[in-house]
Amino acid sequence: MPKVIKKVLPHLVLIVYVFIILFPFVFVLLSSLKETNDQIVTAPFGLPKKLMFENFADAWSQAKISRYFFNSAYLSLSAAVAAILLSAMTAYAIARMRLKRMSKIIYQFILLGMLIPGNVLFIAQYILVQKMGILNTHWALFLPYTAGALPFSVLLIVAFMKAIPQEMEEAAIVDGLGVIGSFFRIILPLTVPALVTVFIINLLGNWNEYLLSNFFISKDNLRTLPTGMVGFRDAFQTSYPLVFTGIVISVLPILVIYAFLQKTIIEGLTAGGVKG
Amino acid sequence: MKKKLLTTVASVVMLSSVLTACGGNNKNEASPSASASTPASNSPSESASAPASVERFDVSLRHIQIGELQKFRKAILDEVVKKSEEEVPGANFELDAVEDSFNRWTKLPAEMAAGNPPKIFDVFGGPAEGQKYARANKLLDLTPILDELGIKDKFTDTSTFNVDGKTYGLPLGASSEGWFYNKELLEANGIAVPKTLEELEAAFETLKGKGITPIAMGSQAAWVPFMLVNTLIARYAGPDIQAGVANGTRKLTEPEVVAAFAKYEEWIKKGYFTKGELGIDYTGQTNEFIAGKTAFLFDGTWRASTFSPEGVGKSLNGKVGYFAFPAVTGGKGDQTAVNYNQNNGYAFSSDVNDNEKAAIKAFIKNLYSEEYQVRGFKEDGVLPSMKVDASKLTSEDPVMKEVLANNAAAGTVFPHFDSLVAGPVNGEFEKQIQNLIAGKSNPQKAVEAIQQAQDKELAALK
Amino acid sequence: MNKTLRNPYVYLLFVLPTIGLYGLFFIYPVIQSAYYGLTDWNALTTANFIGFGNFERAFQDDDFWISVKNNMFFILFSVFLQVPLIILFSLLISGVKRLQGFYKTTVFMPSILSTSIIGILWGFMYHPSIGFFNKFLSWFGIEPIYWLSDTKWALLSILITNAWQWMGFYIVLVLAAILAIPKEINEAAEIDGATGFQRAVRITTPLIMPVISIVVMLSIAGAMRVVDIVLVMTNGGPAGATEVMASYMVNKAMKYGEYGYGTALSIMIFAIALLLTAIYQIVFARRQERVEY
Repeated sequence: MPKVIKKVLPHLVLIVYVFIILFPFVFVLLSSLKETNDQIVTAPFGLPKKLMFENFADAWSQAKISRYFFNSAYLSLSAAVAAILLSAMTAYAIARMRLKRMSKIIYQFILLGMLIPGNVLFIAQYILVQKMGILNTHWALFLPYTAGALPFSVLLIVAFMKAIPQEMEEAAIVDGLGVIGSFFRIILPLTVPALVTVFIINLLGNWNEYLLSNFFISKDNLRTLPTGMVGFRDAFQTSYPLVFTGIVISVLPILVIYAFLQKTIIEGLTAGGVKG
Repeated sequence: MKKKLLTTVASVVMLSSVLTACGGNNKNEASPSASASTPASNSPSESASAPASVERFDVSLRHIQIGELQKFRKAILDEVVKKSEEEVPGANFELDAVEDSFNRWTKLPAEMAAGNPPKIFDVFGGPAEGQKYARANKLLDLTPILDELGIKDKFTDTSTFNVDGKTYGLPLGASSEGWFYNKELLEANGIAVPKTLEELEAAFETLKGKGITPIAMGSQAAWVPFMLVNTLIARYAGPDIQAGVANGTRKLTEPEVVAAFAKYEEWIKKGYFTKGELGIDYTGQTNEFIAGKTAFLFDGTWRASTFSPEGVGKSLNGKVGYFAFPAVTGGKGDQTAVNYNQNNGYAFSSDVNDNEKAAIKAFIKNLYSEEYQVRGFKEDGVLPSMKVDASKLTSEDPVMKEVLANNAAAGTVFPHFDSLVAGPVNGEFEKQIQNLIAGKSNPQKAVEAIQQAQDKELAALK
Repeated sequence: MNKTLRNPYVYLLFVLPTIGLYGLFFIYPVIQSAYYGLTDWNALTTANFIGFGNFERAFQDDDFWISVKNNMFFILFSVFLQVPLIILFSLLISGVKRLQGFYKTTVFMPSILSTSIIGILWGFMYHPSIGFFNKFLSWFGIEPIYWLSDTKWALLSILITNAWQWMGFYIVLVLAAILAIPKEINEAAEIDGATGFQRAVRITTPLIMPVISIVVMLSIAGAMRVVDIVLVMTNGGPAGATEVMASYMVNKAMKYGEYGYGTALSIMIFAIALLLTAIYQIVFARRQERVEY
C-alpha cells in the first residue's frame, strides 16, 4: 500500500464520522442565530439572514440563566472532584493493596450499583434526603451526585490501576515509601489520564442531571441549569431560536473545559507520566 | 506532581466551603426580604396589629405557570401572593415553579409518598389524583374555610375534588373541548361550517380528495386524541356515559360506545388525521394547524388565545372558527351537550399549623375572586370555574365569542373520563387509543380491555 | 513490602468513605424499596404484604415482556454494532498524528449534550417533512419515512440516536487506554517490522482488552437501564413500540401509582441485568486472563 493512502485513509473514515457528529451541532448553532421559528422550520440548514447575537443576551437575562449557570458549575465541579478522590482511593485499595479476598467482595458490591435501575430509587432517596434534613439545600444534590458517580468511577479506575506494572510501585516501597505515599506519588500520577476521563464524565453527568435537581430543590435560586432549560422548552412554542441559544449556552462551557483538558492534561501527562 | 495534587485537594476544600457558604448564605438571604415585608404588614390597613416584629414563616407554593405562554397566569399568581403576604404578618410564600407533567406524574406523587407535599400546590382532581390524596388524608379539608369566606356557593362544580361531601381542592378555571377550523381553507374548498356529523365527514372527504389533511393530530401523548374519543363516546352513548362507567351503572362494552370507537377507527383508516400522528406531540399538533396545513383541530378552549393578535398563531388571527361537536344521528341523549372540565386547581397540605392556615385562607380569598376569574378569561380564554356575572364575560376575541355562544346553547355538560376513573383505567384507555391508531387493536377489543380494567378497580372499592 | 500493601488501617481509610456514601444512597434505598416490591403499596396508603403477587403478575404482563425484548435490541445493537465501531475509531484516532486533538474533541461532543436537548435536536432530524433524513432520501426519490411514528422504524431511530450520543464517550475511554500503553512497546514492534495494522491487532487490542471488556459491560448495563432517551424521543410510543423496561416501570410506579408493582419490576430488571452480566463474564470475560471480576 502506498504510504500516501495509508496516511489519508484513516482521515477519510474519521472525517465522515466527524461530519455525522457535527451535523446536528451546526444546525443548533445556525438556529441559535436565527430570528424566527419560520426561518428554522422552512430552511433548517440555511444560513441565518441576519446574525441575531441579541438572542444570547436575551437568553442569558431571561429565566435567570446566569444564576442557574453558577449553581450548576460549582455543584458539578465539586461533586465530580469529590467522586474522583473517593473512587481513586478505593480503586487503589482494591487494585493494588494485597487484601485480595476483601477487595473482591467490595469490588463486586460496588459493581452492583451499575445494574441498579436508578429511577425507582428516587422515592426512597427523597425520603432519605428529607430525613437527613438536607432537602432544599445543595447538599441534597452534592451527596447523591458524588455517590452516584462512585460505581462507574471505581470500576474504571481499578481497570487502569491494574494495568500499571508491579515493578514501579515495588521499587518505590523498597525505597521506603509508605502505602499512602505510593498512592499519591506513584500510582495516582500514572492514572491521571483515567482520572481526567472519569472526571469529565462525572462532570457531564452532573451538569446535565435533571431528575434529582428538579426533585430535591424547590427554591428558585438554588436551581441548576437543566431545570432552567425547562422554562426554555416551555417557551419553545414562542421561540425556537431562544431554545437553541439556551442549548449553546449550556454546552459551550463544558465543551471548552473538555477541549482544554484533553489537550493539556491527557496528552501532556500521559507522555510525561509514563516516561518519568 | 505533588503540587498538582495539593492544588486539587485545596480546590476540593475550597469548593466544599463554597457549598457551605452558599447553604448558609441562603438562610441569610431570608432576612432582607423579611425586613422588607415587615413594614408592609405595618401598613395603615393593619394598624390594629401590634407593631412588635412578627415571626417570619415560609409557605411553600408549587405552581406550573412556566414560560412565556403562562406569563399572564403567573402575573395573577404574583399579585395574589403579594396581597396575601401583606395581609398575613410574617408570611413568606416560597414559589416553586415546576413543569406541569413533571409535577403531576413525578414530583407531587413522590412528595405525597414521603408525606412532604408543599403547603399549597397545583393538582388535578379525580380518583387518580386529588381524590386519592384526599382519601389518604394528605389534603386540607377546605369546607370550613369556604364557609368562613362565604364563597362556598360561588363555585360551579368542585365535584372532582370532593370526597364524602367535603371539598379538598378548588378548580382554578374551566375549559370545553370542540372543533376549531380554518375559515380560509374551508371557504377555498367550498365547504360550509358543518352542522351535522354527516356534513363534517363530507368536509373531511372533500379536503382529503384535494390533498389537504382534514384534522391536525399529535397523538404521541395519548391524552390528546383522548379528547376527541371522549366527546365521540358522549355523542353516541349519551352525556351520562362517563359518570355511569365510573360508578359501574354503565359499561364501555355497550354497542353505542363500540360504535363511537368504530367511528374513530374509520376516520383513522380513511386517513383524516395528520400522517405520522403517533410521533407528533401536542405542540406539533398546534403547529400543524397554525401552519395552515390542516383544516380542523379538536382541542380545548384554552387554545383560543393562541389565535389572538399576540398569540403564537397570530398568522391565523381572525381566520379561525369554533363549533361544538355536531349532533350524531341516532345518538343517545342530549346531542347539544358539551364537554366541560374544571379539573385543575390548587389543593393544600393537611399538615399545616395555624400560621400556615391563615396564609392559605388569605391565598384562597385573594385568588378565587370574580376579578381574577374575569381576568383569566380575558387574558387567556380560561373559562370561569366560579359563578361570574355573565355580563362581565364578554370577549372581543372572535373565537372566544363563538366558544361562549356554543356553550350557552348547550343543554348539558359532560366531564372527561380521566377525571372520573382511577389511574390504571386511564392508562388502559390511553394505551387502547394509541393501539387503535397504530392498527394494533379494534373497537371491540379496546372497549373490553378498558372495561376489564375498570371492573377490577370497582371490585377493589367494594 | 507485602506488609506495607496489607496495612488494614489505610485500606479501611481508602475504602470506607466510598462504601459509606454508596451504601447510604444506593444500597439502603434499594433494600427499603425492595420490601415494597412484595406489597401492593400505592405510594400513599398503608401497604399490604402480598408476597410474590407482583412477580406473578409481571410474568403474565405481555407489555412488560415487549419492553424486555426492546431492551435486548438495545444490547444487541450496542454490543455487536457499536463496540466494533468504537474499537475501529479509537485505533484510527490513536494512529493519526495530525488532527488527533480535533478528532478527540469532536467525537466526544454528542456525549456533552443532555438527553433532553438531544430529544429536541433529533426530533428535528427525524421530522417527516423538514427533517434531514427524509430530505436526504428524497434526493434518491425515496418516499418519506415516519421515523418516530412508524412502529417499524421508531426503535431503530432511537438506537441510532443513542449510538450517536454515546459512541464518542466510549471512544474516549478506549483511547485513553491506548494512549496509556507505553510508547516503547509499539516502537519496539515497529523496529521489528510490524505494520500499523499488525500492531493494532496483535499488540494494542490485546493490551486494551480490559477496557474493551468494561465497555461491553457498560453497554450491557446501560442498555438494561436505558430510559431517558426513550422518554424524550417517543415516550415509549408509537403504541408501545419503543417501551423499555425502565420506562414501563417508571410509568407504572409514578404515573399510575402502582408503586409496589413498579418496584417489583425494577427488581426484575436488576435480576435480568445481573443474569446477563454474569453470563457475559462466564462465557467471554474468563477467556481474557487479564480481566478479573
